[in-house]
Amino acid sequence: MTLSQGRAIFIWGTVISAVIFLGLTYDSISKMPERTHEEKLSDEVANGKWTWQRYNCNDCHTILGIGGYYAPDLTKVMSRRDPEWTRQFLKDPHKVWPAKRRMPNLHLKDEEIGNLVAFLSWVNGIDTNNWPPKPMAVAAAGPSQMPGEAVFKAQGCSACHKLSGVGGDIGPDLTHVGGKRTPEWIQQQLENPKSHFPDSPMPSFAKLSPKDMKDLVDFLSSLQ
Amino acid sequence: MKYETQKIAYQYFVAATLLFGLQVIFGLITGAKYVWDYDPLINFIPFNTSRAIHMNLLVIWLLIGFMGGTYYLVPEEAETDIYSPRLAAIQLYCFVAIGVAAIIGYLAGWSWGMPFLEQPTVLKFGIVIVALIFLFNIFMTMMKTKKWTVIQGVLLGGLVMLALLFLFGVFFVRNLSTQYYWWWWVIHLWVEGAWELVAGAIIAFILLKLTGVDRELVEKWLYVEVGLVLFTGIAGTGHHYYWIGTPKYWFWVGGIFSALEPLPILFMVIDTLRDVREKRIEIENRIPLYWAVGSAVMHFLGAGVWGFAHTLPQINKWTHGTQVTASHGHFAFFGAYVMINLTMIYFAVPRIRGVSLKGHGRSLVALRLMVFSIFFMVLALGIAGVVQSYLQRILGMDYLTTQDYMKLWYAVMWVSGWGVVTGVFIYIVDFFSMGKPSKITA
Ligand code: HEC
Ligand code: HEM
Ligand code: HEM
Ligand SMILES: [Fe+2]
Repeated sequence: MTLSQGRAIFIWGTVISAVIFLGLTYDSISKMPERTHEEKLSDEVANGKWTWQRYNCNDCHTILGIGGYYAPDLTKVMSRRDPEWTRQFLKDPHKVWPAKRRMPNLHLKDEEIGNLVAFLSWVNGIDTNNWPPKPMAVAAAGPSQMPGEAVFKAQGCSACHKLSGVGGDIGPDLTHVGGKRTPEWIQQQLENPKSHFPDSPMPSFAKLSPKDMKDLVDFLSSLQ
Repeated sequence: MKYETQKIAYQYFVAATLLFGLQVIFGLITGAKYVWDYDPLINFIPFNTSRAIHMNLLVIWLLIGFMGGTYYLVPEEAETDIYSPRLAAIQLYCFVAIGVAAIIGYLAGWSWGMPFLEQPTVLKFGIVIVALIFLFNIFMTMMKTKKWTVIQGVLLGGLVMLALLFLFGVFFVRNLSTQYYWWWWVIHLWVEGAWELVAGAIIAFILLKLTGVDRELVEKWLYVEVGLVLFTGIAGTGHHYYWIGTPKYWFWVGGIFSALEPLPILFMVIDTLRDVREKRIEIENRIPLYWAVGSAVMHFLGAGVWGFAHTLPQINKWTHGTQVTASHGHFAFFGAYVMINLTMIYFAVPRIRGVSLKGHGRSLVALRLMVFSIFFMVLALGIAGVVQSYLQRILGMDYLTTQDYMKLWYAVMWVSGWGVVTGVFIYIVDFFSMGKPSKITA
């Protein structure tokens, strides 16, 4: 090979790759509004994005799988959590979720919290080609999940309770709670934990809609 | 050293060396937060702050090292003095000042909040000005030359590309997906594009000087290597566009092009070894040569092999967003850019200072300890990442629970981190002793 053949490889290699890349970039950017539902990208969402950046959330949490690996990925967090729970959590993370690894209290203003929740809800709608993937074990088991299980996840109960070995240690293991407690007792515990345990650290979930409450109680009662 | 003004490079190497020390200390602080749940620093230096500082220091010192390398290399290639050594000095002070301001700002909670590009916008404009001064100075120096070498051309091309791409990380975009689309133009097209050009030119220059092989041979392979780097690396950006809201055709484009990225890196290894074998002059100072060969191999393992391992969409789907990425990030940055900078330093500083490196076995102790420790560190992070991918993505365990199962590997990572820090401090001691005439035999 000669120097000028080397130069030709350099020039053509660069040009071909750049042409392909720029062409697809043009296409990707023009599909962005549709794939990310830009029509729902309100000022509130944009402000939430700025709040997300200002507090540097992304260096602990990944989002779209990018960022620090110290805290959970937040791409689809609003499918798992309900907005009210998220607001409470952002106000004082450790109080709502006394996990061993802590998120610092960022002393966010209510308006900032509102914007963040709007931002995360918008991100939740991005078409990510099904990432994160549905866990293989869950996908294999099929959609047998009871509706109450989703409520259990959205409300962050596993921050304090274990279920089949997964979850926190603040409250008792609930794997067999249905065999131990009646549905009425469980509902009472959810609505007013202090009525059973005067110094209970468990928050009241009386704000749940009647349907969510019933689903959740059914789910817990089924855990024999 | 042939030109008086090459000396300016030394100041750059001093700054780079000191910031390297600080960078790995922040690595230990960041890593400790994985090993112990309770974080006594949570209200002063929480994880996000220490990670930002760790990463920013890395990028700042590598860039300072590249600039120093450029100021050393260009006069010798262009056969003329630097256009303005004063401007070169001012530029260094401004850059260090901006870096320090950024770090203090992070500690005070001042951040722009995109990973690696956390610098607040005012400081980013400062960085752009510094880059313009630098490019101006280099360009004016090269303009004085009578012969344009390929090494100079590739170096200048890489530096201009580097500066231009930074602009894609300066502006706030409302749409997160679009913001990340352009963000990768900085992050990916830097490390798998522009920086490879700069590093390739620097290594070609060093090999040429050390081994005395034919310039034509070195330069034609430099063309082929950087040509393939750009051919695979530009469209290879697609390996970051699988899951961020972009269309599915990136599975194909990103997968195929990036799977070829290890090829030019392998050529660099072969090229380096061939130059060493076919050397025309007896190599007096073997220390930079050890670093150069070590770097070629580690570059290939960290970027080529570790990168290839998770670049196909079928695998990346499971490993994306886990410690697998962190393992690769450490291995690639260390193997490629840390080691190339240290190669340059061990090549240039003895020439600037007019000393020989005889009796500098300490440099090789630092080399071995760093390589050995980084190897354990990335192995531990890699295992942690595979455990995480399995528990979280296959079994569906929630994130925080997976972390308990990864503790052991975090501990191995952290202990190895102490090995890295020790290696870096041995290097720092060695760096500052290179100036001491007591050891000189030449
Ligand atoms: C902040 C931690 C915390 C959270 C969050 C929490 N709990 Fe509890 N939970 C406790 C503690 C502690 C107890 C032990 C009794 C007490 O002090 O109230 C308890 C007790 C219970 C019990 C009674 C168990 C028994 O047999 O005595 C049930 C049922 C229960 N929790 C369900 C839930 C559900 C469902 C959720 C989510 C909607 C939830 N908890 C959220 C802390 C929590
Ligand atoms: C003392 C040794 C070191 C320790 C303990 C350490 C630790 C860490 C930790 C804990 C993170 C955060 C990962 C996360 O976001 O979850 C990190 C990030 C990073 N560090 Fe280090 N580090 C060390 C040395 C280095 C060195 C020498 C380099 C450069 C070669 C480096 C380059 C990086 C990079 C590139 C990232 C970002 C990784 C990514 O996001 O994928 N670190 N480091
Ligand atoms: C010296 C060259 C390289 C360096 C310094 C480097 C560094 C990095 C870093 C720091 C990241 C993490 C970015 C983040 O925080 O999200 C990353 C991601 C990645 N790199 Fe590299 N890399 C290099 C070369 C390569 C090569 C050659 C390949 C492929 C063959 C590759 C494949 C990948 C992939 C697939 C990811 C994405 C991981 C994910 O988020 O799922 N890299 N690289
Ligand atoms: Fe990449």
